[in-house]
Amino acid sequence: MKLKTVFISVFFAAGAAHAQQSCPVKVGGVLPLTGSMAPITKKIAQAAELAFEHINAGGGVKGCPVQFILRDDQGQPTVGVDAAKYLVEVERVPAFTGTISSGITGPIISSVTAPSRVVQITCCSTASPFTLDGRSQGYFFRTIPTSKTQAYATASETVRRGFKKTVVIYVNTDFGTDMLRFYKAAVTKLGGEVVAEVPYNDNQPSYRAEVTRALAAKPESMLLIGFPKDAVTIVREWLSLGGTKNVALNNSMRTLDFVKGVGEKFVEDFFGMDNAQVAGPHVDAFNKAFEDKFKHDSKGPGVHTQYDAVMVLGLAMNIAKDLSGPSIREAVRQVHAVNGALVGTGPAEYKKALDLIKAGRPIKYFGATGPIEFDKNGDVTGPALVWRITGGQIVTDRTISIEDMQALMRRVEN
Amino acid sequence: MLTGIFSYLVFFACIVLLLGLVTLGLNLQWGFTGLFNAGVAGFYAIGAYTHAILTAAPQLNFLGNFGMPWIVGVMAAMATTALAAWLIGLITIRLRGDYLAIATFGIAVSIQLVTLNWEGLTGGSQGVTRIPKPLSGVFDTPLAYNLWYFALLAAVVALVYWALERILRSPWGRVLRAIREDETAVVALGKSAQRFRLEAFVLGSTLMGLAGALYVSFIGFVSPFDFLPIVTFQIWAMLIVGGSGNNKGALLGALVVWAIWAASGAAVAKLVPPSHAAQGAAIQVILIGLVLVLMLLFRPRGLVGEQAVVSRHAPD
Repeated sequence: MKLKTVFISVFFAAGAAHAQQSCPVKVGGVLPLTGSMAPITKKIAQAAELAFEHINAGGGVKGCPVQFILRDDQGQPTVGVDAAKYLVEVERVPAFTGTISSGITGPIISSVTAPSRVVQITCCSTASPFTLDGRSQGYFFRTIPTSKTQAYATASETVRRGFKKTVVIYVNTDFGTDMLRFYKAAVTKLGGEVVAEVPYNDNQPSYRAEVTRALAAKPESMLLIGFPKDAVTIVREWLSLGGTKNVALNNSMRTLDFVKGVGEKFVEDFFGMDNAQVAGPHVDAFNKAFEDKFKHDSKGPGVHTQYDAVMVLGLAMNIAKDLSGPSIREAVRQVHAVNGALVGTGPAEYKKALDLIKAGRPIKYFGATGPIEFDKNGDVTGPALVWRITGGQIVTDRTISIEDMQALMRRVEN
Repeated sequence: MLTGIFSYLVFFACIVLLLGLVTLGLNLQWGFTGLFNAGVAGFYAIGAYTHAILTAAPQLNFLGNFGMPWIVGVMAAMATTALAAWLIGLITIRLRGDYLAIATFGIAVSIQLVTLNWEGLTGGSQGVTRIPKPLSGVFDTPLAYNLWYFALLAAVVALVYWALERILRSPWGRVLRAIREDETAVVALGKSAQRFRLEAFVLGSTLMGLAGALYVSFIGFVSPFDFLPIVTFQIWAMLIVGGSGNNKGALLGALVVWAIWAASGAAVAKLVPPSHAAQGAAIQVILIGLVLVLMLLFRPRGLVGEQAVVSRHAPD
């Protein structure tokens, strides 16, 4: 009996200590510092380090400095899950960033962060089910755009150009199948139709069989999802067998290698989509800060998105009324408020944001990858652009603003 | 803080029991029969994916995901792994030592590649999500749930341990040890060594499949990254460190090796600032290797070596 009383009092004491805010505020991270991903992780970890430096120089979180505790997942799911569980339970981190491989991010969501209601933001895991299957309960976010933005924009452009019947030829990888799925959902909703879906495997000498299958569906236009080398072969065979010149392409083909590979005069008026890379002072400021600190450039996968992931956590923890999971989860969505005052990257901008938050005013964060706004699933929506090929050059046809993108998302998903 | 540590330890113990179950399976194969199975991850994967495909909630564009009850998934996982092990065993069981190791290693890599590429069935690199956790609706905190799962795992491992101890002290178990020591002598005594080797291979692999099913329903997610060859290496390290040929050793090895893995990570994160995390992580990997080597140098038979007991009727 006595033991039980002790147990209960210890339990409540521990609970009370957790609710109280203490300095420093801890943020957990898991990244594959060793293993096959290690070469690209080096810069990503540096981006995270830089972001925490900026946060601390700009005033920390709720008056406290922020302590970053980074663990290695070794490219192994069990190791990553164990590290995340340790951070959440023993270190009691209220927010968490990581990791890169979807095979490790997935088990962390389903067995650690979502059950414990801890906000998790990844720079790099793109597997679409994470934000869509409901398991994350809204605690999972990512700063890397998935293929959805591009697929929806392509669908809307296809319909805008009046093509009703489209055939899709796509590369048989998770990228290709994801793109196809989102494109099909969107184009059906917007009044178009996918008349045939033709997968292809990369690095084949000829795609005559695939192209013949696609032509048999008698399409008005063709969407090709893949990579330039094989796409050149496919488009050449497509045109030589009498396929239409109404061809849409994905972002990988936005390169002169593709245009020259097929032949300039054959690809006139082909069009495609891309995520609009928002250049500007905030992106440049990040690149410069990164180069100054680490003496090498910031080019590479996940570097910019990791910086933004950490900055979003920093801002959201300041906006949140307390450092509980549900409060931070709500606050993440207020980092890019509609009528907010614009704030960018770097410690000075972070400090400016903190002053605005203290004054009770909304902010609008523009990060190292442009405007960061999350949709209802926790994915970022970004602006997209339509490009086309004219006289052997790739030109921007028009841009689809973030507001238009959001309107499009609503139309497709509701 | 205290509840946090307790909560973490319960989670940690669940992982140890899961890995311990796989190690028990390998111990039956290597420790008692001398079968060099280097394809542990493959059988673990078959169990895991069978369970995931049968029990996960239905999803668009998937062949599987039938939303079946948990127990059906577990039973089917064992049955499928047993069948796969039997088929693989028929082809490979005549191979000795390193030859069997190479064959099983190749098969495990192939299985992992199938899970990565057969997207309609396994979800490919995106994995299978929404695998139900048994009774997850009943417990409202992660700690309460993990305590229940720990109890479940402890019961399963206790049952498996008891059953293994019993059959290994039976005439069947003595034949296995005899095969390990001198196969020619066993054949000369009129036993079919091949049949016994195959039985041990199938039974051990079935335990790995069972562990796979219990693993995915604990985590709720499975992807091909769970079954890289490093998993096989970890299980082997556990068995050798703990004491090959002793089921207590197999379980103890799982505990000790996984503790080294987890504790070194926590220690490095405590001692090394994030700016040097990459170097710290490299040190952790070296540390794990070093401890394993030292253990083998000072305790070559493992933490608890094989016992001399051969029959439950003949105590030592």
